[in-house]
Amino acid sequence: MTFLGLLFYILAAVTVAATAVAITRRNMVHAVVYLIVSFFGTAMIFYFFGAPLLAALEVIIYAGAIMVLFLFVVMMVKVDSPGEDLLPARQWIPAAVFGLIYLVIAFLMIFETRGADAPLGLLIASPRDFALYVLQNHWFSIEVISLLLLLALIGALQLGKSQTKPGTGDET
Amino acid sequence: MAYPTLAALIMATFLPFAAFLLIMIFTRMKPGLSARLSIGSVAVSFVCSVVLLAQNWAAPGPVEYSTQFLASSGLNVQVGFLADQLGLLMLTIVAAICLLVQIYSLGYMAGDPGFSRYYAFMSLFAWAMLSLSVSRSLLQIYVFWELVGLSSYLLIGFWYEKFSASQAGKKAFVMTRAGDVAFFLGIFVVLLNAGNLGVLELNGPTATRMPHEVLTLSALLIFGGIVGKSAQFPLMTWLPDAMEGPTPVSALLHSATMVAAGVFLFARLFPFFSLSPEAMGVFLAIGTISMLLASTMAMVSRDIKRVWAYSTISQLGLMIMGLAAGGYFAGVFHLTTHAGFKALLFLCSGVFIHHFGTNDFYELGRSGSRGLKIPTISIVIAAAALSGVPPLSGYFSKESIMSALAGLSNPMWLLAGLLGVFLTAYYSFRVMFVMFFPKSVEQESGHAHAPDHAGYRAMTGPLVFLATVTVLLGFFEAPIKNFLAGMLVIDLHAPETNWSHIAALVLSIAGLALAWFEFGRRGAEQVGFVEKIPPLYRLFAERWYLDHIYGLFVDRVIDRGISWLCWQNDNKVIDGAIDELAGGTVEGGRISAFLQTVMIQYRLLAIFAVLVFLAFYFFFEKI
Amino acid sequence: MIVPLSHALILSAILFGLGVFCAVSRRNLIMMVLGIEIMLNSASIAFVAAALRWQNLEGQTFVLFILAVAATEVSVGLAIIVYAFRRTGSFDPGNYNLLK
Repeated sequence: MTFLGLLFYILAAVTVAATAVAITRRNMVHAVVYLIVSFFGTAMIFYFFGAPLLAALEVIIYAGAIMVLFLFVVMMVKVDSPGEDLLPARQWIPAAVFGLIYLVIAFLMIFETRGADAPLGLLIASPRDFALYVLQNHWFSIEVISLLLLLALIGALQLGKSQTKPGTGDET
Repeated sequence: MAYPTLAALIMATFLPFAAFLLIMIFTRMKPGLSARLSIGSVAVSFVCSVVLLAQNWAAPGPVEYSTQFLASSGLNVQVGFLADQLGLLMLTIVAAICLLVQIYSLGYMAGDPGFSRYYAFMSLFAWAMLSLSVSRSLLQIYVFWELVGLSSYLLIGFWYEKFSASQAGKKAFVMTRAGDVAFFLGIFVVLLNAGNLGVLELNGPTATRMPHEVLTLSALLIFGGIVGKSAQFPLMTWLPDAMEGPTPVSALLHSATMVAAGVFLFARLFPFFSLSPEAMGVFLAIGTISMLLASTMAMVSRDIKRVWAYSTISQLGLMIMGLAAGGYFAGVFHLTTHAGFKALLFLCSGVFIHHFGTNDFYELGRSGSRGLKIPTISIVIAAAALSGVPPLSGYFSKESIMSALAGLSNPMWLLAGLLGVFLTAYYSFRVMFVMFFPKSVEQESGHAHAPDHAGYRAMTGPLVFLATVTVLLGFFEAPIKNFLAGMLVIDLHAPETNWSHIAALVLSIAGLALAWFEFGRRGAEQVGFVEKIPPLYRLFAERWYLDHIYGLFVDRVIDRGISWLCWQNDNKVIDGAIDELAGGTVEGGRISAFLQTVMIQYRLLAIFAVLVFLAFYFFFEKI
Repeated sequence: MIVPLSHALILSAILFGLGVFCAVSRRNLIMMVLGIEIMLNSASIAFVAAALRWQNLEGQTFVLFILAVAATEVSVGLAIIVYAFRRTGSFDPGNYNLLK
């Protein structure tokens, strides 16, 4: 096991642990913060896998924008005491059973696949190469995605606007 | 060179759409501004298309800009622009006609409460049609094809307060949709068998790899769309009803856009279609039937717009005949000239209708329609072009269609075509003589003198321009032929010296003479020979009972046949079974009720469980 | 980097399982959306690893699109959740039972 390999296993462990902790928190702010840790771990893994641009985007968009959006929402609506019964038995037991079956099958499938155990080489796609590749081969999809983002913006605006109408309730 | 061309293409096609959006969002309350926006955008499109045409006049091959939209193993769909000679020619025609019609509408629609909405729809229409003419793949053509259908529905039913107008809009929509279903199925057949929808690929080597039967099937299915859009034989009755819309809309619909889209598609896929001689035979027959049926209907109608509507059907039939006979250039050239003179006919008729307030041309003649000088001269020029009188544009294009028909081994088609020429000359000059040599003029003096205001000038400007084009276009036959010849691999076989030229000319003169004898000469009783034979007259006037047959079909087969069976089935079989089932369901429902709580999470869990089982399946299948 | 592809895939599978577990068993709409984010993220890891294994940038391109879709989904989803919260005063998916 090389140094980089060791680093990967440490990062993987941190990521999985942070995610596991995050999904069992009762306090949503804590959950979001743990998840940010997990996404940082993912970003590092991306970097080791030769995707520096994606690592940066992961930090900026996932850990930055999306999680902050979650934090905003959690703080904005301020549930005083979440009366959530954490993990009700009739939900988590089937979930856990199916999840275990799923994991077992996934492991089996992964080990069955030929060529999956070849060690990965070191190769870095520089942001320049990556950008050229994307814009040369997928520029149309990029346009479609930009349209999607625009629509999401309009949709979120519309949803936010309709609640400022008088009579629908409190405005924070 | 490449990027300016692309920019011009984008400007030419998307500006009208931008105008549509701007009008719908911002300027609905300001009619003047809406009209200026719309006309301005179409004018820029027109300039761009002319520049493109001039630039590519001598270009060796098609210019295309495209990108993959959908590529999977074996499937390949591109989107983009294909600016070859045919597309550019069509682009220019469409832009020119749209521009003229919009200028004309300034006068015609002045003061209408829906003025802004009218211009918005016109821009939408222009966008759809312009984009259709430079589309890269069949899928893209289909999208704009439907948009053309939608906007024509909106425009035909523009005066939606009028019951007949909204009915006519619906009829146009539904009947063309019947054809479009076939078109869509055809696209699927092509996609599944050829794996490619690009126009260039279909016209090139891809199509030849398809099995012959499949090729014929897909050609026939795609032709179904053409039949619907171009109002050919089984689906022709929507077009006369579409006259309910404003007259400029009819002009647009009939000359360069809606109905021409069908013929354009035929020309677009001409090499593809010509791989299947069987399909071409069917197309030829359908074109001939529609041409003759529509001509006979036009002989008895008293509504000026309807006469031109029937004549559109028959001219489109003639184009399809020309194309199906292998005369690629003949069909496209007739499409070009027809766009000019048919727009002119409708626009002139619009001036008369606007001024005298009636559609009946006997009435128009009696009220002294001769008084309006410019429209009178223009409409006579247009009608002469329609009848194929030299040296107007219609003469040249009809000649080339006749020579294409003469190239066929079976002389029947040529005879049918010649009969069509005769009938065309007869019915168009019937209208002319009745309108301008009426038996009695009951005009109060001063009523019919040409009004002199801005609206009238806006209306007559396009007329003068179109009349000039109609007179001159015929002399550009050779350059256009050379231009189009650049794109085709197939030969434009045209037997040069042929008796069909002379026969067509003689017959159109004969039709004209018959019309003069019955309607034009001093003391003529202005009753056509058809009207003297009552059964024939009724047959033609009722449009060969096509609408009745459709009504009967819907009534008998669908309402009483299929619906009755369905109803019986519903009553006896399904209801019985349902009663049995219901008891069981209630019990089952109680058991499964706990799953059907409104929790979305249980459903998520179910989805996840299914995924797990799928993983199971794939895992054990692989082993 | 001397780890086999299978290890990266295992990491991705575990994260995916955790995400599904979160989305299915937490009775809280925001946590459900978080679970979906975790699932998308795990898919991204698998894609990047596969891109490295086959030396093909297509995988990384996919991650880019996943990022964009995730951002879209979160913004609209959270807007809907806030809207729903304003109307019902609860995050519990079991409380959205007007149709029952």
